[in-house]
Amino acid sequence: MSSDEMSKIQELFDNLKSDKYPLEEYRSVGKRGVRRIDGYEKATGYAKYTMDVQLPGMLYARFLTSPYPHAEIKSLDTSKAEALPGVRAVLRYDDPELPPGADLGGHETSDVPVLPKVAHFQGEEVGAIVAADSEEIAEHALALIEAEWEERPFVLDPEEAMQPGAPLVNPEAFPDGNITNQDQGIDVEEHGDVEKGFAEADKIVEFKFSQGLNTWIGPECPCGVFRWNGEYPEVWVKQQRPHICKRAIASWFGGIPMNKIQIHCLYQGASFGGWSQMPWNMGGHYCAAVIAKRTGRPVKWMFNRREDFYGGEMDIGIYYFKAGAKLDGTITAVKGRAVVVNQGMPVFGFVKHFAENTRIPNIYGKTEAVLVNKGPTTATRCEQNSNCYCLNEVFSHLADALGLDPVEVALKNDGAEGHDITWLNEQKTKLGFPVKDSLKECVEKGKAAIGWDEKWHLPGTKRLPNGKLHGLGFTWTHEWDDSGGTSEIAIRIERNDGTATILGCRSDVGVNAETAYCQVAADELGMRIEDVHYKAQVDATFFAMTPDTSTNMSVNGFAVRNAARLLKRQVLEAATIRRGVTQLGSAPPAFPGKKPEDLDIKDSVIYEKANPSNRKTLAELAKFAGAQGPICSPKGEPFRTGQPYLQYTYTQPLFAHSWQVQMGTYADVRLRFCRQAHFMEVEVDEETGEVEVKKVVTVNDVGRVINWEGCEGQQYGGAYMGIGRGRSEEVVHDPLTGVMLNGNLLNYKIPTMLDIGSIDTILVETGMGYGPYGLVGIGEDVATVTPTLIGPAVHNAIGKWVDDFPITPDRVLKALGKA
Amino acid sequence: MKPDKKVPVSEDEINFSVNGDLYKVRVQSNWTLQYVLHDELGLTGSKELCNEGACGACAVIIDGRPVLSCMTLAIECDGQTIETVEGIARAKHPLVEAYVKHSCMQCGYCTPGFIVTAKALLDKNPSPAEEEIKEALVGNLCRCGTYPQHIKAVLEAANNLHRGQPI
Ligand code: FES
Ligand code: FES
Repeated sequence: MSSDEMSKIQELFDNLKSDKYPLEEYRSVGKRGVRRIDGYEKATGYAKYTMDVQLPGMLYARFLTSPYPHAEIKSLDTSKAEALPGVRAVLRYDDPELPPGADLGGHETSDVPVLPKVAHFQGEEVGAIVAADSEEIAEHALALIEAEWEERPFVLDPEEAMQPGAPLVNPEAFPDGNITNQDQGIDVEEHGDVEKGFAEADKIVEFKFSQGLNTWIGPECPCGVFRWNGEYPEVWVKQQRPHICKRAIASWFGGIPMNKIQIHCLYQGASFGGWSQMPWNMGGHYCAAVIAKRTGRPVKWMFNRREDFYGGEMDIGIYYFKAGAKLDGTITAVKGRAVVVNQGMPVFGFVKHFAENTRIPNIYGKTEAVLVNKGPTTATRCEQNSNCYCLNEVFSHLADALGLDPVEVALKNDGAEGHDITWLNEQKTKLGFPVKDSLKECVEKGKAAIGWDEKWHLPGTKRLPNGKLHGLGFTWTHEWDDSGGTSEIAIRIERNDGTATILGCRSDVGVNAETAYCQVAADELGMRIEDVHYKAQVDATFFAMTPDTSTNMSVNGFAVRNAARLLKRQVLEAATIRRGVTQLGSAPPAFPGKKPEDLDIKDSVIYEKANPSNRKTLAELAKFAGAQGPICSPKGEPFRTGQPYLQYTYTQPLFAHSWQVQMGTYADVRLRFCRQAHFMEVEVDEETGEVEVKKVVTVNDVGRVINWEGCEGQQYGGAYMGIGRGRSEEVVHDPLTGVMLNGNLLNYKIPTMLDIGSIDTILVETGMGYGPYGLVGIGEDVATVTPTLIGPAVHNAIGKWVDDFPITPDRVLKALGKA
Repeated sequence: MKPDKKVPVSEDEINFSVNGDLYKVRVQSNWTLQYVLHDELGLTGSKELCNEGACGACAVIIDGRPVLSCMTLAIECDGQTIETVEGIARAKHPLVEAYVKHSCMQCGYCTPGFIVTAKALLDKNPSPAEEEIKEALVGNLCRCGTYPQHIKAVLEAANNLHRGQPI
C-alpha cells in the first residue's frame, strides 16, 4: 500500500473541506445512459425480496393485534389455536423464555418488551404470535385466540394529551404525564435575541399550522425469516440498516458472536427510513428466533398492508410561529413552538433550517414531544420535514404580508448562522470550494422552467378561462449534506479477464447506488464501466452506509474511491515488479524497467505514458487461472517444459480494502453551501376544493452528478411522494373508538401516474458539496421539501391560507368559507 | 392470500397454462391466483403490495387482458392461459430493455406489474399515444414515484416493436 496514497485518503477523513483530490478526467461519472446494474433483475421479476424467501419446512408467523387503542390483556386462552391442525407454535407474552426487554433495533440500541401485554394503540402487536404451516392457518389460529382485554382511557389529540388530567397514554413507560421531554434543555434551540429582532421589525406575522399523520407505505410489507443452522442464526432482514440487525441479534440469548451470525439483506421494497428505524422493528425476528429454535424449522414473520400503517412520519404535530421582517424582506426574528407526537427517535429541533440557511440573527424554537394513543412515528424519508415546513411557512407568510415576491425574500435572507451570503462566500473560499451562489442558480433555472416572471401574480387574483383559480408556489432550502458515517469497501481484480469486483454490503432500496459506485471505481481505476461490477455482500460485512441520511455517495462514494486508488497503485506496482517469486525463481515484470509512475490505465488497459503502444490489458496482468489456480500455467507443469520459469508468471492477488469516516453536518461541524428550489403550478376549483397540480419544477444543486438517471429518479419520485404527503395522504383515526380508519391503499391516497401534470427535473452542479468530487446526497430531500410547496401554491391561487396539511378539498373549502 | 374464515374451504384440481407451460395444481377454493403463482409455482414476479386490487403489482395477463391476480381465485383459472412477467422476459419483449434503459425501477417492487400491464397494452395497441399509456398504467401504483420514466420506456418499446427489433 502506498503510504502517500493512504495519507491523502486520511487527509479527507472527517471531510470538513472541499475535496482536494478530484479526478482530472471523468469518463463514466456524470455520463448519461449508464445501464443500471439491478435493472434487468427488477424488470423481469427475478430480483428476490425477503417476502419471496421460501425455505424447506418454513413456518409462517402472524401476530395478534390489539382491537383497542389502549388496553391490557387480562387473560389469554390460546388452547383452541394450539389445537388447530397445522399450528406448530403459539408464543405468548407470558412465555418464560421471553426476557423483560431486548434490543429490538431502532435508531439507537433499545431495551423494549418483545411481546407486550399492554397495547398503547389500536393495531399494536401484543400478546401472542402464531406460527403455522401456512399463513392461512396462522390467520385462522389468531381468530381462535380468546383474549380478555381491560380497556383503558385513551387520547388521540396532542393538545388534549398535554392538558392536566388527560388520560395517561403509556403509564408503563411515562407514569407522570404525556409530555416526554419536560425540562430537557436540548429541545430548545436559540440564537440571538428574538425580542430585539421583533422590535426591529416593520411587520410581524403570527400563525399556527399543523401537519396530519402521514406514513411511508413500504411497497414490501415488513417481514423477515429466521433459521438456526445448528447453533447459529441465519436471518433474512428487510432493513435499511442490516448491520443494526446484526448487532441487535448478537445481544440476544445471552450473546451470539458477530462472526457466527449470517445476515441476508436482499433487495428491499423500500421503507423510506420509516420501518427500518422503528423501535421494536426486530420484534418479529426475536419471536421467530424463539419459535425456530423450539420447532427446528425456519420461521417467516410478516405484517400485512394494514399493519404497515401502524407507524408514521415523526413531524406530525402543531406549530405556532411569530416572525418579523423589515419592509424590504429582511427577516429579523423567528420564534416558534412545536408540539410533536409519538417520536421514536430523539427529539429533533424544527428551526434548524433557519440557522443553517439564512442570515436571520434571532431564532428561538421550543419542541414539546407528546404521546397519544396512535402508533409510533419516526423519520419518513427524512426527519427534516418539519424544518422544511417551518422555513416554507414562515417565508411564505412574511412575503405575503409584505406584498413581496417570495423568491426575492428567499434570496434576500440566504446565508448561514445569522450571516449573509457575502460571509458565506468567504467561508467557501476558506474551505477551498468554488464560490457560487447556489440559491441564485437554482431559482433562475427554476423560474425560467415554470415561467415565474410571466405567471406569478398577487394571491387570489387570477381566474383561468376554465373557471379555476391559478396559483404558483415556491419553496427552497439547503441540500442534504448530512453525510455522517463510516464505510468499508474492498475491490479486487478478477483472474482470467481482469474485471473489477467491488465488495460491499447491500442495503438496496432502489436509489441505484450500486451503479454509481461502479462509475466511481471505473473512473478511478481507469477501467471501462462494463468491466466493473458491484458484488453485494448479503451479509452486513464490509459495513457500508445505507440510504439513510443520504450517505450512499457522500460516504460510500469516498470509500469506493479510496479502495480504487489503493488498488490502482497496487496494479501499477505489480506491473513493474518480478512475478511469481518463489523458491523456484521468478518471472520478469510485465513492464520491465518501468516504475509505477511511468504507467497509467485507460479503458482497462495498462500502458506506458511515454510510449502508449507499450500496453497490456488488465487481464494479461491478472493472468489466467489454470487447473490448480492462477499459479499454474495453462501449458503444463513448469518444470516439465524444460523452461521452468518462463510460464510461471503468477501475479500477486490484486485486492484493496479501504474505508471512510466522517462526522457530517449534524454535529454542527460544517456549513451547508448547496441549495435547492422547487416550484409548483396549481389550479384550484373553488366549488369542490380540488387542487390540481399542473406542473412541478424541482431544482437540486447536488454539487456533482454521478448518475444522472439515479438523481432524476429521486427528483421524480420525491415530487410524487411529496405531493401525496402534502395534498392527499392522511391516516385517519375514529375519535370515538381510536381505531385507524383508512389503513389500506384504497382509502389512503398515494399519487398515481395522473396526479401530477408534468415534472421538470433540473440538476445544478456547483461542486460545493463535501462528498467526493464535491457532491451531496439527494435521496431524502425532494420528498421531504415538496410536501410544503402546495401551501404557498394554494394560497397564491385562492388568496387564503390553508395551514393544515395535507391540503385536502375539505380544508380548501373551509378556508374559502364554504364548509 | 386473504382467507375468509367463515366460508367452508373445498379443494379442487385445476389445469392451466402459465407462460406456455402446462400445470396441474391442487388448489383450495379460497386461494388467490397471486398466492398460487408466487408461493406454489415460485413465480415471484407477481408481487403482493396492497392485496386488495388497488395497486397492480400482482398483474398477470389472462386471455390478453391485464388481471389483478390478488383479486382472482385460482380455482376460476381452470383452463386459462396466463402470462406473467417471467414469460414476458423469456420472450425477450423489448419492454424489458426499455425499462432498464429508462431506469423505470427504484426499489423494483412494483416494476413487474407495470411491465405486465404495459405488455397487455402493446398487445392490443401497438402504437399507443402518451395519454393512452397513462390511462393504461394509472392503476399501477409506484410509491417510489417512477411514473414519468415508464411513459418514455413504453413509447420506446412500441417503437422497437415496430422496427422488429427484439431488444
Ligand atoms: S396486490 Fe393485487 S392489486 Fe395490489
Ligand atoms: S419502484 Fe418502488 S414501488 Fe415502484
